Amino acid sequence: MFESSRELPLVSVSVSFAGGAVHEAPEQGGLARIVARMLRRGADGLRSDAIEIAVDELGGELGVDVGLGVTSIYFECLSRSVEALSDLVARLLARPTFAPDELGRLLRQTESEIVAARDDDGFLASRALRRHMFAGHPHGRRVGGSLASVRALAPDDARRFHARHYTRANAIVAISGDLDGPGAERVAATLLGALPEGEPIAYPVPEPTLPEGRRLVCVDKPERTQTQMVLGTLGSHPEDDDHIALIAANTAFGGSMSSRLFQEVRGKRGWSYGASSSLGFARVREAFTMWTAPAVEDAADCLALELGLLRDFCREGVAQAELDHAQSYLRRSYAFEIDTARKRVGQAVGRALLGLPEDYHARYLERIASVTREQANAAVRRRLSDDRLWVSVVATADESAAALAGAIPDLVETVVVPFDAE
Amino acid sequence: MADHGYRHLGSHAFGPDLRVERYRLDNGLRLLYLQDERAPVFCYETWFDVGSRHEQPGRTGIAHFFEHLMFQETESLPYGELDRRYEEAGAEINAATYLDWTYYVINAPREALPLVIATESERMHRLTLAPEHIESEREVVLNERRQVVDDDVEGAASELLFRTAFQTHGYGHPTIGSAADIEAFAREDCLAFYRTHYAPNNAVVVVVGDVGPAELLGGLVQAYGPIAAAELPVEDVRPEPPQQAERRVELHKPTPHPKLGIGYHAPAFGDVDHAPLVLLNEILTGGRASRLYRRLVTESELASLVRGVVGSFRDPSLFELWLTARTSAALPTLAGEVDLLLEAVVQEPVSARELERAKARAELGSLQGLETVGGKAEQLGFGEIVLGDPCALWSRLEAFRRATRADLLRVARRYLGRDNRSVVTIWPQAGEADSEAAQ
Repeated sequence: MFESSRELPLVSVSVSFAGGAVHEAPEQGGLARIVARMLRRGADGLRSDAIEIAVDELGGELGVDVGLGVTSIYFECLSRSVEALSDLVARLLARPTFAPDELGRLLRQTESEIVAARDDDGFLASRALRRHMFAGHPHGRRVGGSLASVRALAPDDARRFHARHYTRANAIVAISGDLDGPGAERVAATLLGALPEGEPIAYPVPEPTLPEGRRLVCVDKPERTQTQMVLGTLGSHPEDDDHIALIAANTAFGGSMSSRLFQEVRGKRGWSYGASSSLGFARVREAFTMWTAPAVEDAADCLALELGLLRDFCREGVAQAELDHAQSYLRRSYAFEIDTARKRVGQAVGRALLGLPEDYHARYLERIASVTREQANAAVRRRLSDDRLWVSVVATADESAAALAGAIPDLVETVVVPFDAE
Repeated sequence: MADHGYRHLGSHAFGPDLRVERYRLDNGLRLLYLQDERAPVFCYETWFDVGSRHEQPGRTGIAHFFEHLMFQETESLPYGELDRRYEEAGAEINAATYLDWTYYVINAPREALPLVIATESERMHRLTLAPEHIESEREVVLNERRQVVDDDVEGAASELLFRTAFQTHGYGHPTIGSAADIEAFAREDCLAFYRTHYAPNNAVVVVVGDVGPAELLGGLVQAYGPIAAAELPVEDVRPEPPQQAERRVELHKPTPHPKLGIGYHAPAFGDVDHAPLVLLNEILTGGRASRLYRRLVTESELASLVRGVVGSFRDPSLFELWLTARTSAALPTLAGEVDLLLEAVVQEPVSARELERAKARAELGSLQGLETVGGKAEQLGFGEIVLGDPCALWSRLEAFRRATRADLLRVARRYLGRDNRSVVTIWPQAGEADSEAAQ
């Protein structure tokens, strides 16, 4: 996938492979990310420091992004260097060394990063939600792995994962920027040229389920003046016939500053700096979440308010005026989804990786515009639930857990976990 | 051009292919306009020459607090209507306040230009500041403070570092303000701030995108022309006296790893030393081949994170180094290693190859972000408000290209003295240190 843009002397390139956390064995959590990060730590006779120096000298920036289903290796560089940097990255992709000393160093660094993530309350709340909501399901895995799983990884694990997933048949190359068509073809051929043919990798994940009942997980952390709170239930699937209707309904409920959730929590009460709801996307049904960060003294009231809003949303849906506003916002702001070559190419890559229909983006605006209130509210009733629900809160448990539990009607389970549990 | 309510002050190259036009309305409002027809969108920013540097003790945070109030009701827009109208038009809106400035940004489809001009001019002089909405916004800002400072280790440490380093200059005030000050703002304080600083002759409007000059200028003159200029106060600048001795402070937080924040007094953004110091920082902390990353993260494994930044402010600011140690026991050794690595660039010139790498990284970093209309508008507004030069980005690229090894040696010797720095050490609270790393 390629689009030329000659405005700036920059080129952006990504190579995406179907291969992420869901493709790891359960006991090898973090493997996909370790493999991707090992590429720049030795390949094809080049040592780690030589690779880093070469990237910098070429005016390049090299990174990796590993998710549940996809690993992307991306780089951006001054256009005068794109062929040289592509040559280098091709060697990293095809012939990483996985030297034991470098792997050991990276594993120790990763352990340190896992521990350091405990500073981030927002991450802790989201992580606890997913760990419990998707318990036993691959979507509950932590992309970076756990301390125990990372410590157990060996060079041969990395070599096997690399050999299976880093192949031509399993790769998508995306290029945008200061190149012409033949130049882009050369870059793509270079990047894929040394990879084995391989085979496409499937998404080995069953549809998740969520049991009935409302459940609370309190991530216990000392000295919190504020809570980070995430509510989650199952949400949308891109193949649902009401997928677009649910997007419109969610936008009305919590997808903008005029939305019901934002106005009730922040506008009227000032209880949280931000308040939003979102629909995750994957090849199977993902989460619908609501996020706020109220002060400790407001947390229980804020939670009760959110549960009431979710209940009303699930039963009564959105009003016609709310839907009209959401549709107008989605249609008119779409210009910013496609205002640069990089975004347009990125959109095409995302469509391919999620297995969306060819015309998904081409028909998106038309489909958004045609959603009726009946369709939007039927989608909400059918897909969302306020009684199959997890509430995840980072708070000081002694001070807040009881009040939070008291704010949840018909609570069936409360779990308190220390913030450094994982 | 004159007698149309505005003057055309000049036209300047913005990179190889684009031009920025400068105008000034009769009431002093400055306009920077760059036509870019690559996508049917535009970015509209309003920069006010006021930030937390203008605040006094006991009134910290009012610039930021007022930024929040700018999204509330005006004489013609009921509460919530501003957000609703912009969203209806497909616009994305935001704002930011920092030490030197406050700005408001609207990214919108091109059809929304009349709406944006009408709304932005309206809120420049017709906010009503209803007491009940000031109160609800006060809660929002207190929650923002909890999120980015009180419950955030790095935010708390950064606030402490600036307070320690700047004991006279307004850069020592936290932009978000102290909780006590936020709780104490009265409506009269907000009104006084509004009348003093939110005037056309204290603002720059930046427009980048697919809008034509006639529609833009006609609309601006009609909407902003009637707004009276204000008599702007003379800023009560108190330059920071030279620091005479190293300052050290400590913080105890529920965090798994100890951290070190080091702030050296550094040159202003417009100083000839600024670009060489940015390049020196690239050599020290930019990327995995940098000296500190290679030695402290890769080789010795003393640190898990190394980060450096040279402040880009109107007045002399800080060169900040932030490091996270892997264990509490490693922190003293880590601090010693940092000193040795910094002393090395004070003693010896960096290599020519290192300097070329730093220049390549700086060039890439300067160009990234210019892809969108918003990225261009931000560079124009920032350059104008901090340096009076909307094209500062490009002269800065030239400064990077010109920099020599001698320049880097000079700035290392000028700024990296221990007497010139403040050091914040963040220790994990008892029972939380190294809970896993020691296993």
